[in-house]
Amino acid sequence: MRKFMLVVLTVLFATMMFSQTIKVLAWDDAHSQSWNALVSEFEKATGIKVDLELIPSGSMLQKTSLNVTENKANYDLVAIDEGNVAKFGDLLLPYSQWPAGKVFPKVGTTDIPAAIFAAAEWDGKLVGIPNNGNMYIWMTREDLINDETNKTEFYNQFGYELQVPQTLDQLMNMCVFFEPKGIFGFAPFTASSEGATCEAVMFFESFGTSVLEMEKGNYKVSLDRDKALQAIRFYKELMSFSPEGALSMGHAERIAAFSDGLVLSMFQWPGIVPSHENEDESMVAGQIIYSAPPAGPIARTAVRGCWIFGIPKASSNQAAAAEFAYWVNNYEVGLKLAKLGMTPVRTDLLNELSNEKPWYTGMAEAGQFAVSRPNRSVHYPELSEVIKNNWLGAVTNRMTPEQAVDNMIKELTELLETYE
Amino acid sequence: MNKSTNMKRLPLRKKRGPFLYFILPAALLVGVVLVFPIIYGFGLSFFHWPQVNDGTRSFIQFKNYLDLFKDQEFWHSLFLQLGFIFIAIPIELIIGFFVAILFNHDFPFSGFLRTLLLLPVFILPILSGLTWKLMLQPRYGAITYLLSVFGMEFPQGILSDQSLAYTAVVIQDIWRMWPFMFMILYAGITSLPKDVIEAAEIDGAGFLKKTFAITLPMLRGTITTAILLRTIDALRIFSEVFVMTGGGPGNGTMLFSLYIHKQAFEFGKLGYASAMAVILIVISLFFAFGLVRKNMDIDTM
Repeated sequence: MRKFMLVVLTVLFATMMFSQTIKVLAWDDAHSQSWNALVSEFEKATGIKVDLELIPSGSMLQKTSLNVTENKANYDLVAIDEGNVAKFGDLLLPYSQWPAGKVFPKVGTTDIPAAIFAAAEWDGKLVGIPNNGNMYIWMTREDLINDETNKTEFYNQFGYELQVPQTLDQLMNMCVFFEPKGIFGFAPFTASSEGATCEAVMFFESFGTSVLEMEKGNYKVSLDRDKALQAIRFYKELMSFSPEGALSMGHAERIAAFSDGLVLSMFQWPGIVPSHENEDESMVAGQIIYSAPPAGPIARTAVRGCWIFGIPKASSNQAAAAEFAYWVNNYEVGLKLAKLGMTPVRTDLLNELSNEKPWYTGMAEAGQFAVSRPNRSVHYPELSEVIKNNWLGAVTNRMTPEQAVDNMIKELTELLETYE
Repeated sequence: MNKSTNMKRLPLRKKRGPFLYFILPAALLVGVVLVFPIIYGFGLSFFHWPQVNDGTRSFIQFKNYLDLFKDQEFWHSLFLQLGFIFIAIPIELIIGFFVAILFNHDFPFSGFLRTLLLLPVFILPILSGLTWKLMLQPRYGAITYLLSVFGMEFPQGILSDQSLAYTAVVIQDIWRMWPFMFMILYAGITSLPKDVIEAAEIDGAGFLKKTFAITLPMLRGTITTAILLRTIDALRIFSEVFVMTGGGPGNGTMLFSLYIHKQAFEFGKLGYASAMAVILIVISLFFAFGLVRKNMDIDTM
């Protein structure tokens, strides 16, 4: 009996000593809760225990700042908003050095669209792996564009078939066409938040100019005045086909306007789409086509805002942390996680599941055109503030487009000089 | 020998002993939750202290303060904040005062109505801001609709215009906080000696005479307390404006506290934000001492 007890105690002690526990920090929503729901399967398959801490996304920066430094890592795997990659990039293990998975294979850089994988790029190398595919997708009312009367009338008026807008000019024509029918062609994003910067970036890029470009590791102002003016004027024209309150539309107002059936087409973030497809909340559920945003005169762009998983260099459980990240982005596991609320990022998963969740088609398509905001700078929030304020100033008529572009160039240049 | 004689004979150190034991827990608590953060914040204001430790944290002496004075947004937010105080609080005071005088007279359901009037004070600021934001929506807002009934149309939205948004923020605060003024002033008015007012009435003093020659001067201390409490509260206004406008459109409602929050938690400049917080404390103290010294004996506080 004494021997038996000794063996049992030894086994217990050995189990305690050799079973690994990793601490994972991520934001709390349906996406990350799906990991929590299946985490026991991961633990069973790998023998690695996971302490998954989910907190409001607004607290992530603060929490990560306090817990991940050069010499300290209270978490082995942290979710980082793309906008903060610059702040933590130097503290994260480059993806090329992530260990191979023992149970789940390392995710290849071709499994996820390159334009999305670029969300994890810092200083010329990948420092993590995207864990959600968050980028603009375009929504168009299927019932309106497939209506036979509308199709005929549109063809007679414009000489081409009514369809999902492939270009911004087509979108403008559709705005003009649907206005007399009481449908607003477009819903802008004009609330004073980061969304306004996203709109600015999308339209500037579509018209062939970038606000800032990286040169030898530093941002330089690269906004082309004429192209920027064209972009702003076009946006203002689109806004004339928008619902009441177009000068202060945030997510809530846009969701309400589209779900009430007032709007023909607009961009949306994938995380919000389920509410448009929920029959209890939306009058247009099941009547939406998802695609990449329409192309501007120069480019087709979908603004990206992904979260990545990063492993702090100071973590002592790097292999186990990598294993968890591979599990989250594994194809077979992803099929199950998607059913529980995760929005996958792998191209094969998006295509596989597009029948169940039609907006995945739009995500897969938009992923090809994803562009980043100029957020590879620790001072990005201040840069974004300048872009946002001047863009909104112009599109909400507080200043002329010329003043806005000149201010933007001047203020961004001054700001960058301050930090040089 | 009675107890007080015993106490008199004890040395000063021993006399203080028991009192210190009672005061110590409270003093510790105040020290931890109030004094320490103030000292820490004051210290931080002399540092370049980014939220993420990127290795650049350093002691920069008065640079944050010097930068503040060159920052136009800082002056703009200070101007908006002071404007907010000088517009909202006098209006709240006037409404609160006259309603308090009204309720000083008995009339049917006065008790019930008095309770009803106090309700806005108990609404959480964040809920108040959210409710006002919804009521001001161009498409489905109740206030927007009511204004349109009176011929005032705002198709682009009240909160899309800088001046209108600022006005809306002020009105929201007046709506929520005038009952607070009323509550304090009503308590003050009901405690005034009745005989003075009755004597004035016998002498033939009318409503205005009684109000301005008797009630107001006798209420000076109460009014100062009410203004002081509201001013300090108004300097801290944050959540209702944050949810209502987020400081926009542009920087049209970027009050001082919102600007501090932006600097600290959006731009990650904790040292700079701390310098602003120190300025806010100085302004609060300026108001407090100014009001107290001019209008009341410190002992009445």
